[in-house]
Amino acid sequence: MSIATTHPGGHAAEPYQGGLRRWLTTTNHKDIGTMYMMFSLIMFFVGGLMILAVRAELFQPGLQLMKPEFFNQLIGIHALVMIFAALMPAATGFANWMIPLMIGAPDMALPRLNNWGFWLLPPAAILLTLPFTLALFGIGDGALATGWTFYAPLSVQGGMGVDFAILAVHILGISSIMGSINIIVTIFNMRAPGMTMMKLPLFAWGWLITAFLLIATLPVLAGAVTMLLTDRHFGTHFFDAAGGGDPILFQHLFWFFGHPEVYILLLPVWGLMPHVLATFSRKPTYGYKAQVYSFIAIGLLSVVVWAHHFFTAGMPVPALIYFMFSTMAISLPLAVLFFCWIATMWKGAMSFETPMLFAIGFIVLFGIAGLTGLILADVAADAQYHHSYFVVAHFHYALFAGGIMGVMTGVYYWLPKWTGHMYCEKLGKLHFWLTVFSFNLTFIPQFFLGLAGMPRRIPDYALQFAEFNAISTVGAFILGLSQLIFAWNIWITVRGGKKAEGRVWESAEGLEWELSSPPPHHSWETQPVIK
Amino acid sequence: MNAEPTPSAFSDDDLRRRRAAARRLGWLLAAFVLGLYLIGLLIKR
Ligand code: HEM
Ligand SMILES: [Cu+2]
Repeated sequence: MSIATTHPGGHAAEPYQGGLRRWLTTTNHKDIGTMYMMFSLIMFFVGGLMILAVRAELFQPGLQLMKPEFFNQLIGIHALVMIFAALMPAATGFANWMIPLMIGAPDMALPRLNNWGFWLLPPAAILLTLPFTLALFGIGDGALATGWTFYAPLSVQGGMGVDFAILAVHILGISSIMGSINIIVTIFNMRAPGMTMMKLPLFAWGWLITAFLLIATLPVLAGAVTMLLTDRHFGTHFFDAAGGGDPILFQHLFWFFGHPEVYILLLPVWGLMPHVLATFSRKPTYGYKAQVYSFIAIGLLSVVVWAHHFFTAGMPVPALIYFMFSTMAISLPLAVLFFCWIATMWKGAMSFETPMLFAIGFIVLFGIAGLTGLILADVAADAQYHHSYFVVAHFHYALFAGGIMGVMTGVYYWLPKWTGHMYCEKLGKLHFWLTVFSFNLTFIPQFFLGLAGMPRRIPDYALQFAEFNAISTVGAFILGLSQLIFAWNIWITVRGGKKAEGRVWESAEGLEWELSSPPPHHSWETQPVIK
Repeated sequence: MNAEPTPSAFSDDDLRRRRAAARRLGWLLAAFVLGLYLIGLLIKR
């Protein structure tokens, strides 16, 4: 790998290419960031369409639209698409666009690796959705029908769709690992002189911890699904009780990855929040160090709590108690973050542009995710709530209100920097209020459904659950439609609109705002000086 | 924080040094990842 030739000096010598060639071969962090963001947006709608079909089926009790097998495929692929193809690429897109600008680097440290990391994604997304699309036309037996968790023995017995998903997860994992390595080495080696680690923008800190979590846990997921593959085709019995294996082993391996994964999805957003809150409160970030230490603490704790996802599978009481208390312990550093976010706004001269609205919405709704998480972490309570709609509601408060709304915060905050145009504030606000309203309309009923005993992952249910399900479905359709406003707003901002200044928001702090909007093709031709 | 143009960006030399260090660390992390993946083979079932 000789990357030395692709440094900006070398770049400048090449003619600037347009068209498809440019996007296929680009090593520019901004181009690659843009591709990640666009890929993410497309997959967000793909995953969204899938789950609208699910909600349509659940509108009434009984089977109306689809066979149960197909329903199972929809929920599993929805989750995998949203997690691996929508949320993670969005966060990586943010990192590509912003980290070099924020730390005063000319580009990512390893630009070619960067190109590879992106271009692995589309084939993986095709692998994930192809069996499913073919099945729609009556070809093959469809995508994996185990839910996104691949639990054995179902995944050992399942059809070809499982193999497709296993391959897709491997490729997605390799892509994420490449991205993570690049981000780590960029942050360690490419900071402008004077940018010490304790001056590093919090967004970069959040991503640094994320990247370490990814390289520590993705290999375990890859190992687990490889073992699944060998169980399926090569006569091993890792997870097959009949052959002396243990299906619970799969759950341990999966969640050793799966729990840190939820923090992987959120740490970049937690890193972003203080930037937005400080900008629109016109105050410096409160508790920089406390936030850095909280990120580190959450990163460390997140790898030792995994078994809270299967308390009910049966484990020794001391293990139950350990996993219960270690899980609850995570809420301490998390509470520190909440405190810092609120303290940043405290007595600030706040204004409520769209990014700020999303940030505040994030804090309130994500708080509900944390509080319901604590309820689930209680071993005794979880015996009732496990595998119910309560869990579904919990993690959508975490992943939609926390993850997706966090990403939307970042998109509205940085879109003017990326495109050089202001988005439409009116549409942004409309998008925010519709999203918050319909999100709650969709998921509050699911808490009650769960408490009343409705299990998750079923296409049909008892009559008593009918009303809440109908409300939830109506909410989901409004939520889905509202996102078209988001896409439209992005589209018109890319195409034109009011010119944005370099410092898009009057009180935004940081190197990224010193550059023009959009920044020149090669960021930082001259070295910034950190004061 | 402020950006004051200095005569050059990272000098070519500096950039080469930084990229080399980044590459070394990159390979080290990749080796760690591969090691972690292969440990799975040691699980006996
Ligand atoms: C204080 C914080 C949190 C605690 C104590 C907590 C606790 C839990 C527990 C105990 C479960 C398992 C419930 C069950 O299956 O019976 C669970 C499920 C889940 N949590 Fe959380 N959680 C917290 C925050 C989060 C965050 C921040 C995210 C994501 C960004 C998240 C995402 C999820 C997901 C995706 C699941 C379900 C996975 C599945 O079964 O498909 N949680 N949580
Ligand atoms: Cu967890």
